[in-house]
Amino acid sequence: MRQYIVKALLQFIPVMFLITLIVFSLMHVTGDPVSLMLSDTATDEDREILTKALGLDQPMHIQYLKFMGNLLQGDFGTSFRYNQPALPIVLERLPASFELAIAAMLVATVISIPLGIWSATKRNSILDVFVTGGAVLGKAMPSFWLGIMLILLFAVKWKTLPVSGHGSFKHLILPAITLGTGIAAEMTRLIRSSLLEILGQDYIRTARSKGLMEMLVIYKHAFRNSLIPVVTIMALQTSVLIGGTLITETIFSWPGMGQLIIQAVNTRDMAIVQAAVFVIALLVIISNLLADLLYRFLDPRIKYN
Amino acid sequence: MKRLASIGLAVFLALSGLLAGCTSSSAPQTTTEQPPAQTGGDTASSGEKVLTIASGNDIESFDIHNHNNTSTEAVHVNMFNYLVKKDRSQQIQPDLAVSWENTDPTTWRFKLREGVKFHNGDPFTAADVKFTLERAARDNTLLEYGNYKQIKEVKIIDDHTVDIITDGPQPVMLNRLSRLGSGMLPSKYIKEKGWDEFLNHPVGTGPYKFSEWKKADRLILVKNDDYFGDKPKWDKLIFRAIPEDSTRVAELLTGGVDLAVNIPPTDMQRIDDNQGTHTATGPTQRVMQLTLRMTAGTATADPKVREAIELSIDKQAIVDNLLGGGGTITRTRVTPGNFGADPDLYGKQLYDPERAKQLLAEAGHPGGLEITMSSPSGRYLKDKETAELIAAMLGEVGIKVKLEFLEWSKFNEKYKGKTFGEVFMIAYANSMFDASLAFDRIYSERAKGETDYNNPEVDKLLDEAETNMNPDERAEQYQKVQRIVAEDRPVIYLFQTNANFGVSDRINFEPRLDEMLFADEITLK
Repeated sequence: MRQYIVKALLQFIPVMFLITLIVFSLMHVTGDPVSLMLSDTATDEDREILTKALGLDQPMHIQYLKFMGNLLQGDFGTSFRYNQPALPIVLERLPASFELAIAAMLVATVISIPLGIWSATKRNSILDVFVTGGAVLGKAMPSFWLGIMLILLFAVKWKTLPVSGHGSFKHLILPAITLGTGIAAEMTRLIRSSLLEILGQDYIRTARSKGLMEMLVIYKHAFRNSLIPVVTIMALQTSVLIGGTLITETIFSWPGMGQLIIQAVNTRDMAIVQAAVFVIALLVIISNLLADLLYRFLDPRIKYN
Repeated sequence: MKRLASIGLAVFLALSGLLAGCTSSSAPQTTTEQPPAQTGGDTASSGEKVLTIASGNDIESFDIHNHNNTSTEAVHVNMFNYLVKKDRSQQIQPDLAVSWENTDPTTWRFKLREGVKFHNGDPFTAADVKFTLERAARDNTLLEYGNYKQIKEVKIIDDHTVDIITDGPQPVMLNRLSRLGSGMLPSKYIKEKGWDEFLNHPVGTGPYKFSEWKKADRLILVKNDDYFGDKPKWDKLIFRAIPEDSTRVAELLTGGVDLAVNIPPTDMQRIDDNQGTHTATGPTQRVMQLTLRMTAGTATADPKVREAIELSIDKQAIVDNLLGGGGTITRTRVTPGNFGADPDLYGKQLYDPERAKQLLAEAGHPGGLEITMSSPSGRYLKDKETAELIAAMLGEVGIKVKLEFLEWSKFNEKYKGKTFGEVFMIAYANSMFDASLAFDRIYSERAKGETDYNNPEVDKLLDEAETNMNPDERAEQYQKVQRIVAEDRPVIYLFQTNANFGVSDRINFEPRLDEMLFADEITLK
């Protein structure tokens, strides 16, 4: 077990190396930060001076080696835009992103588990049709549209919740629903199909033939076994949620990492992008590891060698 | 079953605990605030006068020399003071300097205001002026370096007198000192505590002092009771960053903010129809233009083709139909409020498609011709639509336009490499409020490869005006340049854009040409 964790963490090193290289190259081929930093009226001379001052006139491989050298000492470099070390700026945004991700996950779980079980056990009923139809709708609904609709209804029309911002529980409700709906839709469908498959298994028939109550059959025998794919999706979604809540964060002016990343990409703020990608990659690896450990807990047959 | 239930409960509790932990760790700053639905209009409940302003983006930082962002400066002006400031009609007025004179063409002597204190209690002296201006003039990694490198030295004459020595005659010196980068910094505080401390706890001399900055969310300033000027009108200013237009509008409609900047034209009616809000609009320094290539061999090298292009564009139709009337057509980039403006070229257009067709025939293109036009997409309000409409208008007279839309950084790459085809569309602002900046790229040396415009008379006039310390003569020189450029057409100016604001009915607000948001110019009704 411990060996497994250590191995997983060691895999992180080559992955990170590759990711930094890809991000570095992409950022360099997509545009020059100096043009984006200076005003439109800056002279060519001003551009040259700044390019040199920031060390951007050097060949790309030299820049990359320098960057990696600093990275090995834990230094992601200085943000062009904020003129401060990049990593603290990224970490500062993490709590807000976590907050939103966890709330959205809770919304998704609360909606999807009962609906998924319900529609699987009442297969082909009207309710099932509604739930599966609703899931398709939930998945298809663009989050920016849903977010703006929620704002118009709850904040502008009924004045029950704040429009945007961050700080109190009330501020969290609309963004969490916006973000959670899409995931809920996906999870509902997944739980439904996974449960349906299991309900057709022999051991379920055995359980039923023993005369067990249907409730017990479903919750004790079927549901737990259907959770394995759901856990995978949850783990993957959590890491995606932390870094990829860009649209929802923008609509609700939520001060998380998504907003920071898009601004950094737009201004080619290399240090911030690298630091943010690093943090997200780390979170993805950790959440995958947690998912693996959870599998083992849910299905003791899975062993780590 | 029991086990599963207990696991479920444990996971739920753990998640909620984590959630609560996150919320409480970031909550303290806002717990003292009212919920946003009340912050805006809140004066009665607490007796505190709070002004909440929503912008499209957060301030960049408190390093006043290392950004070139108008919306950041619009906030900074409430915390820092310049030596001289522009009033609403763009006239230079004393601020931290009470008087000034040119002792010789390259020396500006400023008498500084006495008894001014920084927010931390340090007195404001000549040493602060030297520190502030020499930093911008010497550190070439700073974004404002290009605008201050003309300053050779700042000499301290006594505690309240400085001489600013420039590398040549600088007629635009006062304009330079009344804009971005000239807010006076506390030299003692920064030298003692370092830049990082200053960036986290900035200190200025202005009417409002720093209270708290939650990045990408809100900046809170509180009134400075020791301000040297008129008593601050508000107890607290909240600058909120709300990137999404419709959210910003919704905040205004629900009373969450008092003033929202950058309102899309399509939302203006909604704000006016809503009870308790109205709109305000005012000109900005930004002028949209077409830059034309005059390189030998290109179709636009022919003056008749360039004239035909201008005559076929109905600028007013663009302003009316795409910008909802939010702009003013122009034939010059030096709009009113800028030094050297020529009012004869402002508010006018030469739309005449029939004459344009004739000119094309005279130029040897009776069957029409094809040109390439590049435009950024998503950089300016309705930029893509503007380019499309222009292409359609040119098509009407027989000029087939191959449109190329580029994302801003790609556009910039071509701009820098000077590799555009016949025409590209761009909008420039003018933070210097002086004609000189408007003609930077018209000068033959700098036009090389871009427009390839070369008119010795224009060069001569620009050379003379650059260092002319006689304002009347200098203004005349620039007006002459504008008239020549309007005829030569290396550039066809289209329109000056407006800035749109959404305003709560409880405040009085008039937009400024420089787009600064001086809180004390905004009053409660």
